[in-house]
Amino acid sequence: MLHNIDLNKFLSLFTYVPDDPLLFSTAEFLFFFFAFLIFYSAFSKSRNFRVYILIIFSLFFYYKAAGLYFLLLIFSSLFNFSAGKFIGQSESPLKKKTALIASIVVNIGVLFYFKYTNFFIEIINHIGSSAITPLDIFLPVGISFFTFKALSYVLDVFLEKMEPEGSFRDFLLYVSFFPSILAGPIDRAPEFLPQVKGDVKIPENYIGRGIFLIIAGLFKKAVIADYIGVNFVDRIFEMPTRYTGVENLLAVYGYALKVYCDFSGYSDIAIGVALLMGFKLMDNFNSPYQAASIAEFWRRWHISLSSWLQDYLFRPLQMKFRNLRTLGNASALVITFLICGLWHGASYTFILWGAVHGLMMAFALFTKKPKQMLYEKLGISNSKVLHVLQVIITFHLIAVTWVLFGATSFSSAMDMFSQIFNYFKGGVFVQFVQAFPSVFALIIAGYVLHFIPKSFEVKSAGLLTKTPLWGKALILAVMIWVVAQAKSADLQPFIYFQF
Amino acid sequence: MISDRLKKTILNVLHLEDFEIQDDTRADEVPGWDSLNHINVILAVENEYKVRFKNIEVLKLKNIGDLQKLVDSKTN
Repeated sequence: MLHNIDLNKFLSLFTYVPDDPLLFSTAEFLFFFFAFLIFYSAFSKSRNFRVYILIIFSLFFYYKAAGLYFLLLIFSSLFNFSAGKFIGQSESPLKKKTALIASIVVNIGVLFYFKYTNFFIEIINHIGSSAITPLDIFLPVGISFFTFKALSYVLDVFLEKMEPEGSFRDFLLYVSFFPSILAGPIDRAPEFLPQVKGDVKIPENYIGRGIFLIIAGLFKKAVIADYIGVNFVDRIFEMPTRYTGVENLLAVYGYALKVYCDFSGYSDIAIGVALLMGFKLMDNFNSPYQAASIAEFWRRWHISLSSWLQDYLFRPLQMKFRNLRTLGNASALVITFLICGLWHGASYTFILWGAVHGLMMAFALFTKKPKQMLYEKLGISNSKVLHVLQVIITFHLIAVTWVLFGATSFSSAMDMFSQIFNYFKGGVFVQFVQAFPSVFALIIAGYVLHFIPKSFEVKSAGLLTKTPLWGKALILAVMIWVVAQAKSADLQPFIYFQF
Repeated sequence: MISDRLKKTILNVLHLEDFEIQDDTRADEVPGWDSLNHINVILAVENEYKVRFKNIEVLKLKNIGDLQKLVDSKTN
């Protein structure tokens, strides 16, 4: 009897278990990944073999997360591969354009069906006071990510940024590559595909940087984000009215750190895991809270998405509206960020969050000249003081908008602000620090780390590259032990997994 | 080869004294030529040469050499 249970447990490692994907910070993933890595380093000397191993493991990895929906991944790859080929081979601009539009309709249609159908049924019910029953639709994880990735390839072929890919096998690996399948980075074909065909030898500095990123990512995700989330931030966001204004305010600061550590930590692990296999994915975060304007924040936050939106949505819109000049730019920004909000999830709060970001940037466009004149009058343009002020103001604007992003509903977000303004109770701060010293310490540490100069990171990764292999393994083992200590009893889902 | 006329148009709209522009210079390598300023540069070039580009023609440009070629194809 006993060995039956064990066998079932062992078998369940290899089969799809709903709501139990192989998250990067779980013991199961680390077990699979290290087993895979040993196998991979032994057999990846041959280019063909390496690609097949990666495809099989990637499809298995996605099957673990989404069950039979891994077929959707194969369909998406096949469809977009064919669309790219067709556009590349067509002579007439009209044919190219028709194929592009058809491809956009199919990609966005599939994404829309899985992700937004019920949200729109809700809106229709709301407007027409009808009562259409929501459908029972399974949301395949990562669908927003791999749809955008595959679509960018078709657009790149259309815009003649690259030749259509000849090998379906290589293209399938591009779409399904397991490190970035669940939560990005949304890599681009012109950067990724040459690596599939390139040298199979893994450079020394990839290993050092890879391990550094995995360690940093585990620390950000499993220590900072999960710990302050479970023990403090999430509780306030669930029931803001049960807590004082000062706790709500601290939760706003805590959430801004949590959402960054959660998502960038996951990205770091993804990029690190890819490096250990010899693939360089694009950078996704660059100390976003060091930004001195909202526009700069978007050049540092979720870069693979913001650059995607800029290249394929903002630029075409901006060209269309160019006769309106600044107003054209502003309209293109607002539309882009409305869609950016919607991309994050099917709810009013996400759309509003995107709209506010778009409007803030549009406002900055119109006030650029008078602001510049004012700074010159005061003699503070390009001064350090001004820069520090801009960073502080930008951060607070972003932190306030995160409340919309993280709140369970719009009214719950408003409750948080009303608690902060009407029921502050500053004295509770001391009690909070006494009751939650580790949460408070982690929040402070997280922000201090965020403002450390980049050169420190480069130096650390360089040191790790020089460390012998047993040393690297030891450091990684220590980090995994620290994560295990910090882990709460139940697994925290990634904030970005619903996207 | 980037013509003086095109170079002057670009420098004027970006308020630059002088900047070395080659065929393979990319827009983001020129100070002040960011994604928001991009339309001002395109509009200035269209006005200077009295031409109108299609949106897709502009989106396909990879560098300033491509822009020069596009202008040439419209003016000849």
